[in-house]
Amino acid sequence: MARARAEQQQPATGTTLIVLVGLAVVFLLFMAFLNVVTTKTGNLLNETNLLFATLIFYSGAGALYLGFGVTGTESYVKFASLATWLGLLFNTAAIAHRWYEAGHAPFSSVYEMLLSFVWTLAVLTLVAEKKYGVKVIGTVTMPVAIVGVVLMQLLRTDVHPLVPALQSTWLHVHVTLAMLAYAACALSFALAMMFLIQDNMKTETFLAVTSASTLAIYASVVLTRFEKWGGLSLAAWNPEAKAEVFLAKNVRLFVTIPDLGWLMTLTLLVVASPLVFYGLSRWKNNDSFLTLANRAVFLSILLQVMALVVFLVDAYDGRYPSLDADGKFPTSLAASPFILSGLVGGVFISLLYLLLLWRRPDLERLLPNADNLDRITYKTISIAFPLLTLMIASGAYWANQTWGSYWSWDPKETWAAITWLVYALYLHMRITRGWRGRRAAYFAIAGFAVVMFTFFGVTYLLPGLHAYA
Amino acid sequence: MAVDLRALAHKTWRIVASIQTGVVLLILVVILAAVGTIVLQRPVTEPDEMQSAYSPQALRILDAVGLTDVFHSWWFLGLVLLVSLCIAAASIDRFPNSWRYFSRPYKYPDESFRRALHPQKSLAIADEESGLMAAEQALHSVGFNPERVIPRTIPKDSRADPYEGHFGIFAERHRISELAVYIVHASLLLIFFGTVVDGLWGWRGTLNLNEGQTSNLVELRDGTTRALPFAIRCDAAGQENYTDGTPKKWWSQLAVVKEGRDVQKKEIVVNDPLVYSGVRFYQSSYGPNGKVDKLTLVAVPGNGSGVKQEIGLAVNDTVALDADTTVRFAEFIPDYAVRDGQVYRKSNELGNPAVHLVVTSKGTAKDFDVWFPPMDEVADNLKAPYQFQATDLKMGHFTGLQVSHEPGQWGVWSGVVLLGVGLAFVFYVVHMRFWAVPVCDSKTGKYSLWIGGSANRNRDAFEHRFSDLVVLVEEELKAVPRTSPTERVATVVGN
Repeated sequence: MARARAEQQQPATGTTLIVLVGLAVVFLLFMAFLNVVTTKTGNLLNETNLLFATLIFYSGAGALYLGFGVTGTESYVKFASLATWLGLLFNTAAIAHRWYEAGHAPFSSVYEMLLSFVWTLAVLTLVAEKKYGVKVIGTVTMPVAIVGVVLMQLLRTDVHPLVPALQSTWLHVHVTLAMLAYAACALSFALAMMFLIQDNMKTETFLAVTSASTLAIYASVVLTRFEKWGGLSLAAWNPEAKAEVFLAKNVRLFVTIPDLGWLMTLTLLVVASPLVFYGLSRWKNNDSFLTLANRAVFLSILLQVMALVVFLVDAYDGRYPSLDADGKFPTSLAASPFILSGLVGGVFISLLYLLLLWRRPDLERLLPNADNLDRITYKTISIAFPLLTLMIASGAYWANQTWGSYWSWDPKETWAAITWLVYALYLHMRITRGWRGRRAAYFAIAGFAVVMFTFFGVTYLLPGLHAYA
Repeated sequence: MAVDLRALAHKTWRIVASIQTGVVLLILVVILAAVGTIVLQRPVTEPDEMQSAYSPQALRILDAVGLTDVFHSWWFLGLVLLVSLCIAAASIDRFPNSWRYFSRPYKYPDESFRRALHPQKSLAIADEESGLMAAEQALHSVGFNPERVIPRTIPKDSRADPYEGHFGIFAERHRISELAVYIVHASLLLIFFGTVVDGLWGWRGTLNLNEGQTSNLVELRDGTTRALPFAIRCDAAGQENYTDGTPKKWWSQLAVVKEGRDVQKKEIVVNDPLVYSGVRFYQSSYGPNGKVDKLTLVAVPGNGSGVKQEIGLAVNDTVALDADTTVRFAEFIPDYAVRDGQVYRKSNELGNPAVHLVVTSKGTAKDFDVWFPPMDEVADNLKAPYQFQATDLKMGHFTGLQVSHEPGQWGVWSGVVLLGVGLAFVFYVVHMRFWAVPVCDSKTGKYSLWIGGSANRNRDAFEHRFSDLVVLVEEELKAVPRTSPTERVATVVGN
């Protein structure tokens, strides 16, 4: 049946490609509008321009991979990997430039780590494509890389000298290992998702998961940032110091953007609706609710894009009142990187779902078979796990050199250990209990969720000794 | 009764050594550790912050359960010990089997094994010897070291020479990989052991030294003081800044003093500690100690005659200004306040400093209190025989050292190294085995060479390897003349 549908579908047309490239151009123009590109310093090969070139090629690659994912035209992949190679070249140059300018490996701030993370992601994409033949992986990883580069533009910091505790070779060892391990975990997550597609998991299950994830994003934004009279509070930003404004130690100054809170709440409700329809269809055993749910996803994407655009326009530049202090204070996108990446991530997840909904037979044709995906997932985890181990060990050794203790149950340490334990459980279940297939895939996904929490959640929710990054 | 006890012990052992128990325990550790990062922990939180975060009742419950100090609670320690016990038991339970597998490799495949094994392949051969030789050659060419093996039990229908017709070929690589998981488990136990040793006999504390000061008293985390059998002297300490003012480097020149002698000297910086007899001294901070290192003054005689003198004073130093006048640096108050004609020390932070000098004239036997800044209520600045002007105040600095004694850390580091090695073996070193046995079909009387292979992980890659080997054997078979040794001998004799 699926095969029959696949054959009925139109063969790949150039139109899709043109539309996608057009979208990429619009996106780049938008970035240029955000004042990203600069020739002020006179030197053409400055870091900003190198990053912009990286962005152009990664966007091109992302568009082509998406085009490949949607139409299944093999020839797109060649150009996509060429674009990835070129982007990687500029990315490497940007890292080298940063390294030269700073005099130390670029691992000391969120910005510099994103730089390395995106680089690792691009390398792994090429490896997965060339070595394992998972061509469609770029459809997922390149958009992530693009989001990373955009985030970098907003988080751009001047070269900061290293505080004494960070002046150690072990810093570089530790962070390199962390980046490699996390990128391998990200890859295993993407592969596990693909496995679930190949394993004939129902499309509506993906619908429920997509809806639940976007719901979680908007719920966390609304619950933590909704202010009186429908405003949305964001951290204030000091443009001169390029830093957040602090009222006291660890107490940030927040400004309130009026009415944005209502928009976020509305989006929250619309984003939740597919989940409600899904629940109804399960409860009433009636598939017509699923049609409604899919329409609701489409509507939710429109609203999410609207929320994102309004957020970008409002938070990009402007002065807003604060509840904690008199007067108006400026804010900037750089002050709210996590809300921004959450909103972009929400749109991205929903779009991936649409891709699955519309082109599932094509995807199934393009992806390696379920058994292979299962094995490759295990292989990436068997790379990630030793890397995680070494990352924790090098961190402990460095901590022992710096703080005089190899383990102090700091939240980041604890969560790194939890990540390690989750993957250790996965390996035990797989090796001794013979867990294969779905259960192993769920485990890989859960493991990556923990990695994400360790990387982002702990930094912003559970402060501790790792206050640098 | 005795049997029951034994059964009970056996049952307990089965439970402890089972993978289910291990998984449940690990999940518990994960949950509790996560809780420990979400609930504020007493050791790293100020008491008033705790109180503002939780209602008194909630705080009482959290304290009673131990959730405010998860990582030092007895139940968390107990849980970690249970996990170690479980790892140890599971390893002991499974080890004999693996050891048998390791120490007595299965070299000659019997018929049922041959039937079940995957991958396997049968190639037609002229006779036993050519098949065996081809297999040997092929295995040699891919770097294996094949050996000729015989079955453990000779079949009943054996010929005159019991071994003839029953040779097989066996080759293997990386047998140690079968034991790798025990290396990993042992390394984890070693790490746990190290941390337990540190928990029982280790300690951590701080030692703040002013430049020039010697001390052997370390203030421990729990507020008590520990006297070291040797003392540490700080000869100098300092800070270097980046151009934007953020600190770049803190350094201290330390000397270990034992029985009055300097036994070791080192300049330490952050990330590079001094180690002496198992005690490590880390640079952790640097700052003003609120004390005066040197006060520079210009003194002019009050009667206008005489010359200006520049003098430098530390606290309690006395300097003669002329034959019968001396000045003493009596007191330095980092943060002062005046009330009812008295000068008070408001705090020890350097905020509003005051300097107290006492000028003594032998002739009049009278003391004059000179204050900077001049405070009308208490100061005799104008009455004193000399007028002073403070030109420079150099503050003293302290260097903050973290001191720790971790006797178990060698266990931890050797465990970590072993863990790395073990994991490398677990994931990347594959135990590969190849067998080749000539088989005679009892109906047709034709010979074929049965080739089989097995790998303990990464089986898909191994299958490629196996088919490559089969191709090699086929090539060797073509190269070897398809004549049996007896025929060859016959031809030689015939000549």
